[in-house]
Amino acid sequence: MLNEPVGVLVIGAGASGAAFAWRIADTGMSVLCLEQGPWMKQQDYPSNGLDWEARGMREFSTSPNVRRLPADYPVNEQDSDISPLMFNAVGGSTILWAAHFPRLTPGDFRVKTEDGVGADWPIDYRTLEPYFALNDRMMGVSGLAGDPAYPYHEPPLQPLPLGRVGNTLASGFERLGWHWWPSDSAVLSQEYEGRAACINVGSCLSGCAQGAKASTDITYWPAAQRKGVQVRTGCRVREITVRADGMADGVLYYDAEGQLQEQKAEIVVLACNGVGTPRLLLNSRSRQHPEGLANSSSLVGKNLMLHPYAVVMGIFEEPLQGRRGPTGCLFWSHEFYRTDRSRGFVRGYSFEAIRSVGPAQTALWGTLHGLVPWGEDHHRAFARLYDHAGMLLCITEDLPDETNTVTLDPELTDAHKIPAPKVTYRLSENSRKMLAHAVERAKEALMAAGAVETVAEPLMREAGWHLMGTARMGRDPRTSVVNEWGQAHDVRNLFIVDGSVFVTDGAVNPTSTIQAFALYVADSIKQKMETLFD
Amino acid sequence: MTETPAALNDLHFMKTLLDLLIPPSASGDLPGAGALGLSAAVATALQADPLLGPPVEAAVQALRETTLSQHPEGLPGMAPQAAVKVVEAQLDPMLIMGILLYLYPAYYQHPRVLEGIGEPPRPPFPEGFDVEATDAELLEKLRARRRA
Ligand SMILES: Cc1cc2nc3c(=O)[nH]c(=O)nc-3n(C[C@H](O)[C@H](O)[C@H](O)COP(=O)(O)OP(=O)(O)OC[C@H]3O[C@@H](n4cnc5c(N)ncnc54)[C@H](O)[C@@H]3O)c2cc1C
Repeated sequence: MLNEPVGVLVIGAGASGAAFAWRIADTGMSVLCLEQGPWMKQQDYPSNGLDWEARGMREFSTSPNVRRLPADYPVNEQDSDISPLMFNAVGGSTILWAAHFPRLTPGDFRVKTEDGVGADWPIDYRTLEPYFALNDRMMGVSGLAGDPAYPYHEPPLQPLPLGRVGNTLASGFERLGWHWWPSDSAVLSQEYEGRAACINVGSCLSGCAQGAKASTDITYWPAAQRKGVQVRTGCRVREITVRADGMADGVLYYDAEGQLQEQKAEIVVLACNGVGTPRLLLNSRSRQHPEGLANSSSLVGKNLMLHPYAVVMGIFEEPLQGRRGPTGCLFWSHEFYRTDRSRGFVRGYSFEAIRSVGPAQTALWGTLHGLVPWGEDHHRAFARLYDHAGMLLCITEDLPDETNTVTLDPELTDAHKIPAPKVTYRLSENSRKMLAHAVERAKEALMAAGAVETVAEPLMREAGWHLMGTARMGRDPRTSVVNEWGQAHDVRNLFIVDGSVFVTDGAVNPTSTIQAFALYVADSIKQKMETLFD
Repeated sequence: MTETPAALNDLHFMKTLLDLLIPPSASGDLPGAGALGLSAAVATALQADPLLGPPVEAAVQALRETTLSQHPEGLPGMAPQAAVKVVEAQLDPMLIMGILLYLYPAYYQHPRVLEGIGEPPRPPFPEGFDVEATDAELLEKLRARRRA
């Protein structure tokens, strides 16, 4: 029955909410997830039509400010060097993600100890290891076991083929003697758990019509629903409500008809991502929590990390067939991952070799970078670029900085008049140096692979794919928002399971670690159930 | 008296403009964007864009007026070289980019264009594509470096 009190209320049905809900369902407690977006249908994804690129730039854009769909909320990004990106639906941002699936490395959990910067995590790689493995099985991960950059682990499925573009790019790393390894990818190289294998449609970033890419609407959610978890869509949570003693007792949310509803719960779990979670906490002010919920440390919304990216494109004489295959999943390189102070910066970066984009995006990118003019020379210049490009993304580790924030915008609101988030993010000097270094090394690798020319975008603005750090975890309530298993220091029946809890962010995509953490929090709750609120 | 349509809706004018932006290829394999009849789609998309639409519309309107002052038939009547010159002089590159933002997706989804650039004239799904296997030699090298 609608609004019957529940045991566990999860807010947000994305990568972390799905993993958590599935895992906690074993307890027998009633579990409900409120999600502001809808269920997606694979037959509606752009790749079903010739206009797939046009739709990918509009209603399937990675920016909520471009899409402006009913499920979206606006984000003020005027004071940010990088635009925060996301998708709001069952599956969350995994609907559009590239499914590149590295884990944080063991060293990423102890940055302070290793390099004297940032802070150490209160947990380590070993704590999460069983959850990484469980998550790999649930999502369906393809990869090659034995990467020397990681402790040994075996992805459940064989690696995806590198294709001509991957073989070519990898040859450059081989020639230079640099580390590279086929990526762990949450894309199926073979049929798995009733899902079909990847057929190289190449439009991962606007949804996978084949269902081979692991978005959580087709991985965790069906399994969670079979365990009795309910998902209520079109429901936007306005605020978390509290009892007189300051503990959470549920939420107020707008349902699909725009009616304000109240939902009571014994445990509230936030999984709204690194922007949505601090927004909701800051919107949940009360007499007991005047600065926003769980914010006695004043750290809610602070320490936003976004992984500044650069991209370098190599142009090759031979066609590379880079349009075909999982867009973001070729291989990674950790050659420059660890601190080497002679480089002039601390910490490091990874490369993610990716495939290229469709013809319209190639033309747009080419024109923006002065490579493809309009007019008489258009076709010649286009032909030189299209299908002849190989790309390296440079993912840099940005260190936590309290001046990089998610706050509430004083004016901007969403369709329900709920204050919208404002993102303030400025690139640090360390990040700038790291990006510059990465661009030069990427050019070297591309030339070694046979590129005849390279073109760099030294800082990608539309690249805020990873939203982290805005409700960091730690043992000390003065310097963190949640403890080592996601429990809010100030509100013991409130948990956070998304990337907000990251203490530092490594130099790899975060979702494997986010989901492993969400599973770990669920198990921690189960184990501590008797004493949870003591 | 018949009313002159807004420049974006003046299909004859827009056809010429789009053909200048993406002309037919020298080999004839690829059609010009105007000849493909994309004017209406591009105009509709621009008019629905609250940010780009108004400045592009105003600039295109001004372009039509300038060309009409130079030639009785305006842009469509001008020699191609002269037409390119006036477009370059009149339209800010950012506004041209605004048109291309909608023109490229419309152009590069057309079956004739897809065939011309060597792509099958069909949606990517459900057929998908073949991808070459990983180079066996590369794989061997990796296996030799594997962590046990
Ligand atoms: C284009 C793109 C490509 C990416 N590629 C990769 C990649 O290759 N590898 C990788 O590791 N990561 C990638 N990411 C990042 C990855 O998608 C995220 O790290 C991951 O989805 C975060 O999970 P989450 O559960 O924290 O948040 P999300 O998956 O974003 O889910 C949050 C959910 O909460 C809901 N929500 C928010 N606020 C409310 C509210 N008030 N009420 C109700 N519901 C609410 C939202 O609608 C959303 O569905 C990519 C992201 C994007 C956008």
